[in-house]
Amino acid sequence: MSDPILGMVMLGSFILIVLLGFPVAFTLMAMGVGFGYLSLEARVFDLLVQRTYAVMANDVLISVPLFVFMGYVIERANILDRLFHALQLASRNLPGALAVATLLTCALFATATGIVGAVVTLMGLLAYPAMLRAGYDARLASGITCAGGCLGILIPPSIMFILYGATAGVSVVKLYAAAFIPGFLLAGLYMVYTIGLATLRPSMAPKLPAHMATASGAQVVWALLTSFFPLAALIAAVLGAILAGLATPSEAAAMGSLGAILLALAYRALTFAKLKESVFLTARTTAMVCWLFIGAYVFTSVFGWLGGHHVIETWIVEHLNLSSLGFMILAQVVIFLLGWPLEWSEIVLIFVPIFLPLLDNFGIDPIFFGVLVGLNLQTSFMTPPVAMAAYYLKGVAPPQVRIQQIFAGCLPFVGIVILSMTLLYVFPHLALWLPDYLYGTAALPAGEPVDAIPEGGFRVDDLVPALPSFD
Amino acid sequence: MQRLLIGIDRVSAWAGKTAGWAIVALTAVICYEVFARYMFRAPTSWAYDTSYMLYGLLFMVAGAYTLSRGGHVRADFLYRSLSPRGQAMIDLPLYLLFFIPGTAALIWFGWDFFYISFLQNEHSSVTPDGPLIWPFKFLIPLSGALMLLQGLAEIVRCVIALRTGHWPDKLADVEEMETQVLALAAAQKAAAAAADHAAREAAR
Amino acid sequence: APQVSRAQTMTWRFQSTWPQRDIFHEFAADFVSRVNTLGGGRLRLELLPAGAVVGAFQLLDAVSAGTLDGGHGVSAYWFGKNKAFSLFGTAPPWFGDANQYLGWFYYGGGEALYNELINDILKVNVVGFQTGPMPTQPLGWFKNPIERVEQLRGLKYRTVGLATDLFNELGAAVVALPGGEIVPALERGVIDGAEFNNPSSDRALGFPDVAKVYMLQSFHQRTETFEVLFNKTKFDALPAELKGVLRHSAEAASADMSWKQQDRYSRDLLEMTQNQGVRAITTPRPILEAQLRAWDAVVARLEGDTSSPAAGPFFKKVCDSQRAWCRRVQTFYLRYEAPSVLSFNHFFARG
Ligand code: NA
Ligand code: NA
Repeated sequence: MSDPILGMVMLGSFILIVLLGFPVAFTLMAMGVGFGYLSLEARVFDLLVQRTYAVMANDVLISVPLFVFMGYVIERANILDRLFHALQLASRNLPGALAVATLLTCALFATATGIVGAVVTLMGLLAYPAMLRAGYDARLASGITCAGGCLGILIPPSIMFILYGATAGVSVVKLYAAAFIPGFLLAGLYMVYTIGLATLRPSMAPKLPAHMATASGAQVVWALLTSFFPLAALIAAVLGAILAGLATPSEAAAMGSLGAILLALAYRALTFAKLKESVFLTARTTAMVCWLFIGAYVFTSVFGWLGGHHVIETWIVEHLNLSSLGFMILAQVVIFLLGWPLEWSEIVLIFVPIFLPLLDNFGIDPIFFGVLVGLNLQTSFMTPPVAMAAYYLKGVAPPQVRIQQIFAGCLPFVGIVILSMTLLYVFPHLALWLPDYLYGTAALPAGEPVDAIPEGGFRVDDLVPALPSFD
Repeated sequence: MQRLLIGIDRVSAWAGKTAGWAIVALTAVICYEVFARYMFRAPTSWAYDTSYMLYGLLFMVAGAYTLSRGGHVRADFLYRSLSPRGQAMIDLPLYLLFFIPGTAALIWFGWDFFYISFLQNEHSSVTPDGPLIWPFKFLIPLSGALMLLQGLAEIVRCVIALRTGHWPDKLADVEEMETQVLALAAAQKAAAAAADHAAREAAR
Repeated sequence: APQVSRAQTMTWRFQSTWPQRDIFHEFAADFVSRVNTLGGGRLRLELLPAGAVVGAFQLLDAVSAGTLDGGHGVSAYWFGKNKAFSLFGTAPPWFGDANQYLGWFYYGGGEALYNELINDILKVNVVGFQTGPMPTQPLGWFKNPIERVEQLRGLKYRTVGLATDLFNELGAAVVALPGGEIVPALERGVIDGAEFNNPSSDRALGFPDVAKVYMLQSFHQRTETFEVLFNKTKFDALPAELKGVLRHSAEAASADMSWKQQDRYSRDLLEMTQNQGVRAITTPRPILEAQLRAWDAVVARLEGDTSSPAAGPFFKKVCDSQRAWCRRVQTFYLRYEAPSVLSFNHFFARG
């Protein structure tokens, strides 16, 4: 068997074998080492060690544990119920008030913590029964909780874009800037859909019970001041520092962790026991992500060594003769379909690198591609058979809610994701405007032309002219 | 046997939790670097090396701890629906075939990688006067050994599950929020069902 | 027909330390194409870009271990293993140009010292050739012009090799990053200023997108050359003629690179200043002079490092050999060559 064919067999068998359910990191590592051994023999083990070291010395991934830590501290600080209560009060005059409050809480909390499971289960316990009691359609309530809970991996600062940046070798800062508007656009579309539905079909999302609708303005302001604003300010500070270039993502994450600790102290929610829990959970989650990265690195290295990338490139560029649009649709459909059985992390680390070398051929900006992938991966949480969000919700929902109802409820939201991807493709400026605006360095007025010969000729002293002024 | 398995869990948990505190040090180092830059206009050369070393220490050593907690992500929609016996039937061969070779290689070849660096007394190439790098490289065989040890415990657990049809107990520890919430919800549902049942019994 | 020995083609995996789009990767490809032509179907190198198998900074380990059969990079990337590595390729600015450095390497005892370093001191399992003379490297890319030496103090700056010690001496906080990681780091704010190498590479790596001030002239890397590495076990097993193919291809590629860069570097600098809003500024002389003084301190400190015979004493041995060569050869050329400034002005700067 030639090496490139070996590479294809390796990729194909990975997709099947990973579904057996053995930890993905070790499955990847083993398949890399196993198939690598057929061509590299014992040298593949050195490759494993060198790739492991590359993950250890990776200065982009440093921000992963820091953001994770910040997330756990916020999560353990018990601010979710305050937040939900306040937003519920604040949105009480809107149609579908509970739904809007749920979506807002999810979006904000998910963005701060980035932990999808925690958001969906906590909201599943808190907001979901409240919606059901208020007479909401179970499907709609499910869709809102699941879709809202996943926003955290899309809206920056999110770990997904750190992994994408580390894989694609593009700036995480630019990715954050590019994902900013599309992230809020998606959250906005969710809200527009919900409010629209509540207005057109009030039976699906009835108004709040009377006692909830009578809070005074002062109560609302106070509730918001003590719950919504501190958290929103923390996120805004972290994200603002990154986007304004005041701090690197890891610096902002470290400052964010410090801020989260102070916030938790202010809420009197931080005990040493809770800090310890956050530290230990951070260690576990970071190890999970980074060992997965090691597995993926070994796998893609061996795939590259065997010439697998080259086969795919030849096949897509020469045999299929795709246009840029055709390639984009193919890539996104493949990622969408992979999102059924797999989770976002495997897709970003294994399959996205296969498309990346092709982007140049089709003139596609890797930042733009990254944002599209980020939107696309929102669906992977909601599409069966592996629909993390749906399963978490099922686990906490009242027994009469069936998993099929939850899937049905997610379906319109999957549709909204696809709509937003289409919008983004048609209006790429939604992603590209902000990074251009923030980081497009203005051209300087031309100084002395570099091809000019000085009046009277060069002298050694002329080679060191006085500095031209800039104003 | 169960005491030995829990003992291995303890070793992994102790190592992983100890390394876990690196996150606090990492937060402190980076916050200091930010202050040094903005308050004293004196960014440090050492923060860069220190940061990736703390980060590497954190996740490498915590790998075995994560394994002991079942924290390494699986594509598990089929796996989850299986009985413990079925799960063990998948896990046992894959631990032997997929897990052991890689972790053994991390120990064996990672040791060479470390040892050459040690003989060269290698320093970091990333910063001038960079710190010694071989202690950092030593984390590879060390973590490989921790992983292998925990992996052997998991293999024994697979054998027990195949024999008895139940997964043996693990060391109790802090849980993810969703796990806590799910457990709580399951308990509530069970309680509600029991109360419901009792009420109907009483009505009869 | 005469029987040409066409035994099996050996294919070797050869990785560069450069991103695919960098002109340095093209120079690596130029070397590879010479080997493949001269190898006559018996030895074929398959070129891979940085990161395809290992990251740039891991190339030496990978070639030594045999994960890769060979690679294309610069010795300064390995100076964490021994500071003297940087002397092979990018020494203090005492050579007149990089070809004089190559003269020292091949005819002034440099290769023997290099082999002493890799074989006896570090015991890495590689064979290396120096090839490809580079011109002076610019001070680099900044948000604002560097007008005074003090501006370097507290600046987070990227360079590699001994130049990291130089900028450290000048008060900068220095980070060495591989070529492909510099622009994202500049964008993330990990660094405030950076140099990589030359107008073509810098342009291809995207520097003009993130900074517009390009400071030309500097003494931090007045000369540099590439290093081509092969796994020693594999190399030693080659028949003599294929060993010759590898050595002579390095020589041929060295000459070719010195010609090709004349065309490409000058064009790319024009392109950036005319069409990408880049302002090319000559580094003020006080900064150049401060660099020379800082070099004195760096060299004295490293030569005086008595922690082991492989540290200061070996470093000094290499420096002494280089300085002896430079004194003789530079004096020769400075006395010998008619000044090109004079003739250039005569033909192109009259009236
Ligand atoms: Na899915
Ligand atoms: Na350079």
